[in-house]
Amino acid sequence: MKKSKLSILVAAVAITTALVSCSKNSTSTGTSVIPPSNPISTDSIAGPFVKGTLLTGRTYYVTSDITVKAGDSLISQAGATVIVENHSKIVVQGVLQLVGTSALPVVFNSKENTPGTWGGFQCDSAQAVTIKWAKLINTGGPDASGGTTKTLFVSAPINVDVEDSWFLNGQDDIIRTQKGAKVTILRNTIISSGSTDGEAINIKSGCTGTVAYNVVFSQAGSGIKLETSATAPFPQTKIDVYNNTVVACGWRRGLAEPGRCVSIGVGAKGNVYNNISVNNYQGLEIFLDADSSDLASHGNNLFYASKTNYTIADTTAGKSDTISLTSNFYPGDGMGKKVSSDVFANPMFTTFNNDFLLPNGATTTNIFTLMSSSPAIGAGNTTFSPFNIFPTGALPNKDLGAYPTDGSGNKH
Amino acid sequence: MRFIKASLTLLALTLSIHLFAQTATFKGSFKSDKSKQPLGGVMVKLSTENKTKTLTTVSDNEGNFIFKNIPTGEYKLKAKSAGFGEYEKHVNLKENQVLFVDIELIEKITNLETVSVFTKINQENENGSRLNEKNATNIMNVVSAKAMERSPDINAANVLQRISGVTIQKNSGGDEAYAIVRGLEPRYSNTLVNGVKITSPDEKARYVSLDIIPSDLLQKIEISKTLLPEMEGDAIGGTVNLVMKDAPDSMVLKATSSIGYSQLFFDRKYTTFSKSDIQQKSFIERNGLTAQATPSDFSRSNLDFKQVQALPSGTLGVTYGKRFLNNKLGFLIADNFQNQYFGVNSIFNTISPDIYKNLPFISDVAVRYFSSQQLNNGLTTHVDYNINDHNKIVLNNLFLYTNFSQARTEIDTAYVGGNGGRTVPGTGPITNTYSSITNHQFLENMKLSGKHILSKHLLVDWAGVFSLATKRAPDRADLVVNTKIDTVHSTNNTNGPYTFRKTPYYFDDIPRSWQHNRDVDYDFIANATNKTKIKDNGLEIKVGGLYRHKDRNNRADQYDLKPTANADGSKQYFTNINTAQWLVFNPTGNGNFNANNYVAHENITAGYGQAKFTNKNFDLFGGVRIENTDQGFNIQSESYTQITHASISYLDVLPSVMFKYKLAPKSSIRLAYFKSISRPNYYELVPYTIPSNTTSNDEQGNPNLKHSVADNFDIRYELFPKGEEEILIGAFYKQIQDPIEYVYVDNTTYSPQNLGNATIGGIEIACTKYWGNFGITGNYTYIKSNVSSPKSYTDLVAGTTTQKLQSRPMQGQTDNTLNVSLLYKNEKKKVFVQLAYQYLGKSLTLVYPVYGADYYQQPQSSLSLSAEKDLNQHFIAFGKFNNLLNTTTTTKINNLVGISDSFRPSYSLGLRYAY
Repeated sequence: MKKSKLSILVAAVAITTALVSCSKNSTSTGTSVIPPSNPISTDSIAGPFVKGTLLTGRTYYVTSDITVKAGDSLISQAGATVIVENHSKIVVQGVLQLVGTSALPVVFNSKENTPGTWGGFQCDSAQAVTIKWAKLINTGGPDASGGTTKTLFVSAPINVDVEDSWFLNGQDDIIRTQKGAKVTILRNTIISSGSTDGEAINIKSGCTGTVAYNVVFSQAGSGIKLETSATAPFPQTKIDVYNNTVVACGWRRGLAEPGRCVSIGVGAKGNVYNNISVNNYQGLEIFLDADSSDLASHGNNLFYASKTNYTIADTTAGKSDTISLTSNFYPGDGMGKKVSSDVFANPMFTTFNNDFLLPNGATTTNIFTLMSSSPAIGAGNTTFSPFNIFPTGALPNKDLGAYPTDGSGNKH
Repeated sequence: MRFIKASLTLLALTLSIHLFAQTATFKGSFKSDKSKQPLGGVMVKLSTENKTKTLTTVSDNEGNFIFKNIPTGEYKLKAKSAGFGEYEKHVNLKENQVLFVDIELIEKITNLETVSVFTKINQENENGSRLNEKNATNIMNVVSAKAMERSPDINAANVLQRISGVTIQKNSGGDEAYAIVRGLEPRYSNTLVNGVKITSPDEKARYVSLDIIPSDLLQKIEISKTLLPEMEGDAIGGTVNLVMKDAPDSMVLKATSSIGYSQLFFDRKYTTFSKSDIQQKSFIERNGLTAQATPSDFSRSNLDFKQVQALPSGTLGVTYGKRFLNNKLGFLIADNFQNQYFGVNSIFNTISPDIYKNLPFISDVAVRYFSSQQLNNGLTTHVDYNINDHNKIVLNNLFLYTNFSQARTEIDTAYVGGNGGRTVPGTGPITNTYSSITNHQFLENMKLSGKHILSKHLLVDWAGVFSLATKRAPDRADLVVNTKIDTVHSTNNTNGPYTFRKTPYYFDDIPRSWQHNRDVDYDFIANATNKTKIKDNGLEIKVGGLYRHKDRNNRADQYDLKPTANADGSKQYFTNINTAQWLVFNPTGNGNFNANNYVAHENITAGYGQAKFTNKNFDLFGGVRIENTDQGFNIQSESYTQITHASISYLDVLPSVMFKYKLAPKSSIRLAYFKSISRPNYYELVPYTIPSNTTSNDEQGNPNLKHSVADNFDIRYELFPKGEEEILIGAFYKQIQDPIEYVYVDNTTYSPQNLGNATIGGIEIACTKYWGNFGITGNYTYIKSNVSSPKSYTDLVAGTTTQKLQSRPMQGQTDNTLNVSLLYKNEKKKVFVQLAYQYLGKSLTLVYPVYGADYYQQPQSSLSLSAEKDLNQHFIAFGKFNNLLNTTTTTKINNLVGISDSFRPSYSLGLRYAY
C-alpha cells in the first residue's frame, strides 16, 4: 500500500518533470507524452533475455544474469530503481540507454548493498552505451564463471557516453573501454571503489574521447589510466583528460603496485590539463613506454599532499613503510617531469578530511568545490589543442578540477 | 590306447637318456640365399624318425640355433620362416658329437601367395629393424629394443629424437615431449600403440607426451613416413607406432635396474612441497555447485616450499615371457618403474613490441627454477594363443601411470608496464611466483586381435581396442607476491646521486585450479588379405575398415584467493604462507562455466582397398582409403548467446600409390604419393574466450576451424649391405591445405586459424656402417617449409597498424638436424659403447604477433654417452650419461633472449640381468 502510493507520487513527479522539460524545448503549446514501446511491466526480471523500457518510479528485481541481444535495447526512464540479486550481471549486445535526471536518477544496486555484489554492465559487444544521471552502486565481484566483473565494460568501437553519474563502492575496474570505443566521460563521481585492485577509468587499445570534470575519490588503483595495445599500436588511444579531481587514490593495492591520479603508458596519448591531484599515492605518471609526445601535452595540473611523508603500516605483520609524497607527484620510475604551469599547493577544497588510505566502500563527507582562496582558480589552460572535439558544454575551464567556480563542471 | 602308447614311448626315451646318457650337441645358423643376411626367428623343429620326440627352438639375432645334450640317434630337421622355402634335412647324431650346419634358406616368390599368421623376423634387434624397413610396403624407420637398450635413452621421446627426420618438442619444464616428424608440429603426426591410435591424456590436444613411455617396454618403434590406405589417414608428418614386447619363443626373464643423479642438484637444492593436504577434487566437486568455499577450504602446506637435497633417480624393470601348452600359448609381462628427479634453471624474459621502433624489446626479465619429480610405471602384458597354424588370438595390454610434481619459482622484474619501469639497473617492480603443480596420468590400452587363415590365400584379421587416458591435475597453486625497487634521489637532480628503496613484499594473489579429463576410444578393425600369384608375380589385395567412437570429457575449476585487506584498507604484507590471510574471491569456483569445461566426441568410420603387385624387379602398390569424421563438442556457457555445441562432419578420400624398384637384392628405390589429413585439436574448436585482465588481448577458440589436408610426395633410395647396416637417402615434399596455427586474428585476438596453404620439403639421409668393432650410425635431415600468416604491421610514418601477411617457416620446423653416433662393439669382450652427438639447427618455436619477428630456437649441439659390458653370462653393467656438453636451449627473437633453459648433465649407472 505504502509502496504503491510512493510509486504514484514518483510517477506524478516524473510526468510533471517530463511535462516541464518538454514545454521548455517545445515551441508549440500542446504537449504529449509518447508511451514507451516496450514497457517492462513485471517487477521481477529474470534471464535469459530482456529488452524494453524500465519505467519511472518502479523498482525492479533482477534475479539472474540477463542479456540484451544485438538489435534489442534496454532503456531506463528517469527514476527507475533496479535491485540486482544473486550476484547477477547485465550483458548488453544491443543498446543500453539509462537516462535519469538530477532529481530522479536511475539507480542500480545489489540486494546485499555491500561492495562487489553484482556484475555491472558487460557491454563487450554492445551497439551503443549511454548512461546519464545514473547511480551504479556496489558493483563488481565474481560472475557465474568466477571471473572478475567491471562495472561498465566495453570492448567495441562504439559510442560510450557516461555523464553525470555516480559509481559508488564498486570493485575491480569501474569504467573500462577498449578496442576503439569513442568515449565521452563527463562529470561523473566515482567513490571508494576497488577492493585491492581496479582503476576508476581504464581506457585501452585505440579508444578516443574526453574524460573531464570527473571526481575520483579513494580508488584502489589509479584514477585515470590510458594505454594502447602493444600488439596493435595504431590507432592510438588518444584521450583529452582535463578538469578532473582525483583524491586519495592508489593506496589499497600496495606500494608495489602504485596507483596514480593519471597514468599514460603503452603508446597512449593523453592531453592532461587542469586536473587536481590530492593525497594520491602518485600523481601524473608518464610511463617509459608512453608516446613521447605525452611529455609535451600536460600542464596546469595541481598536485598536493596534506603530509610530506605518509606512513603505511601493516600491524599484523608488524611492519611499516614511509613514502615521500612530494617526490611522487611525478614518480621517478616514469619519464614525466614537472612543468612550470603546474601548481603545487593546497587546492582549498570546501571540506576535506585530509584522507589518504581508506577501505573499499568507505563513506565520505568531503566537498571538493573550491574555496575562493583556492590557487586552482584561474590556473587553468583553456587553449591546449585537443585530440578530439571538446564536448558541448564541457570545454576546459580556467579553473582547475571538476568544480570550477563558474559552476559549469560536475553537478553533484 | 594311443595315449598309453605315447606314454610308454616317452618313458622309454626318458629311461634311455638316464640309463645310457649318450648325448650330442647340434647347432647351426641360417642365412638368406639371396641377401646372405643372417635370419633370426627361424622356427627349427628336430624330431626323431618315429616322431615320438620333437624339440623346437628359434634362431637368434645372428641366425644361430643350438640343441644341447640331446640323445644320439637319427633325426629329421625342419626349418620354417615366412617368405622362405621350407627346409628339411636328415641328421644323424653320434655320441659326444658337436654337429654344425650352415643353412641357406631359399627366398621363395611362391610364398608371396601364402598367407601366414606368424611373423618370423626378430623384432627386438637391429637386424630385424633393417629387415622391417626393407620389406615394408611404405617408407619407414625402425628402432629396435636392442638399440634402445644400448642407447643413452630411457623413454620413447629420447629414443625418437635420434631417428632420421624426427625432432622432439619439449616444454620449458622438460616434462612434456612430443614428436615432430619431418618438421611438422605434433598435431600433424599420430601416435599408435601396437598399430592402433591411443587416447591422449592431454586436456586440449590429441597427442601423447612420449616421455611417459619407458623404452624398456618397447619391442620397437616404427616411424612410417608414408601412409598406406590400411593406416589411419590423419598423419601428415608421419605415424609413430610403439610396438610393445611380444611373447618370446623361449623363456625370457630379464631385470634391469639403475640409479642416477642430475648435475643440477649437485649445483643447487631441490625444491619440494608437501602433497599430503592436496585435495584431489575441487571444492564444488566435493560439495556441490552451490556450496560456498571458505578460506580454510584451501590447504597451505602445498605452498610451503622446502629446499632439500634431491634423492637419486632410479629405474627398475622386469620382463618375463614364456610359451606354454606346447608353444600354443605365449605370455609376456613387463613392468618398468622410473622415478626421476630433474629440473631446469631458466631465463624467461617477456619480449614486447616496441611501438616506436617497430621492433621487439625485452619488457620483463625473469629467472625460473623448476624442480620436478616424475614417476612413471609402465606395465605391458601380452598373451597369444595359436589355436592352430591357421588361427591365432592375441591380447595386448598396456597400462601407463605417471605421477608428476613440480615446484616452480619465478622472479620477474618489469622494465616497463603498469606498475612502473626500470630507470636504472636494480630498479623495477618485482613479482615472485611460487607454484606447486601435481598431476597423475593413466593410460590404458587393451587390444584383442585375431588372425584367421580361411584358405591358403585368404587371411582375415580383426581387432577390438579399448583405450582410455585420464589426467588429473589437482590444486595447481600459484602464490604471487610482489615488491618494487625505486631510486630515491638525495638531491633535486634526477641524474644525481640516489639510493635504492624497496617496498615490503605484498601478498597479491593465489589462483588454485583443478583440472581433469578423460578420453575414451572404442575401436573395431577388420581386414581381409588375399594373396595370389599371377605367373611368377605376387598380388596381394587387402580390404578393411575401422570404426572408432571417442568420448572426451574435460573439467576444470578455479578459485582465486585474494589477500584480505587490513582494517584500514591497506594491502597485506607477505610474511609466509602460514600467516597469509585470504578471502575466496569466487567461493563457488567457476561453476559449470570454466573455459576448459567441455565434452567432445569423434566418430571415425573408415574403409579402404589396396593392392600390391610384386615382381622380382619391382613392387607396385596402390589403394584408397575413405574416412568419415563426425566430431563435435558441448560446453556450458554463462553467455546465453554463445555457441554451446557443434557437430562437424566431413569425408576424405585418401589415395596412396607406391612404387619400389629393386635395383639389387640389397638395394631399391621407392616412390610414393599419398593424401592425408590432420584434424583440429578438440579444444581448438570450442568457442571459449579467455580475456586478459591486464591488456585488451583475448584468446579464443575457433569452431569454424577446418581440418588440414595434404598431398605428400616421397622418394627414397635404400641399401641394406648386411646386419645392422643401412644407407637411406630420401626426399619429400608436402603441400598442406588449411594448416592450423595460432595467430593474432585482429592484432589483439589469439586464436587457432587455417592459414591457406603451406609447403614443406626436405631431404633425409640415414646410415649405419661398421668397420670391424667400430661403427657409425647417423642421420641428417634438411627441411624447408613455408606458410604465411597475418601479423600486426605498424607503419610509423603513416601512423597505422594493419595486418600484413608474413611468409615464414612452419611452427616447430628445424632446418638442419644431424645425429651421429660412434659405436664400439666388441663381441668377444662383450663391450658396447655409444657416443651420441646431436646438432639441431634453427627452429621457429612460436609465432610472434608482430610482423618480421618470431621466436626461434637457436642451433644447439648435445652429446651423450652410453656403455655396457657383460659381466658374466647373466649380468650386464651399463651407464648412461646425458647432456655432457651442458647444452642450453635458447629461444630468441632477433638477438633478444626470450627463453634459455639449462638442464645440466645427468648420469646413471645400472645392471641388467638376463636368465
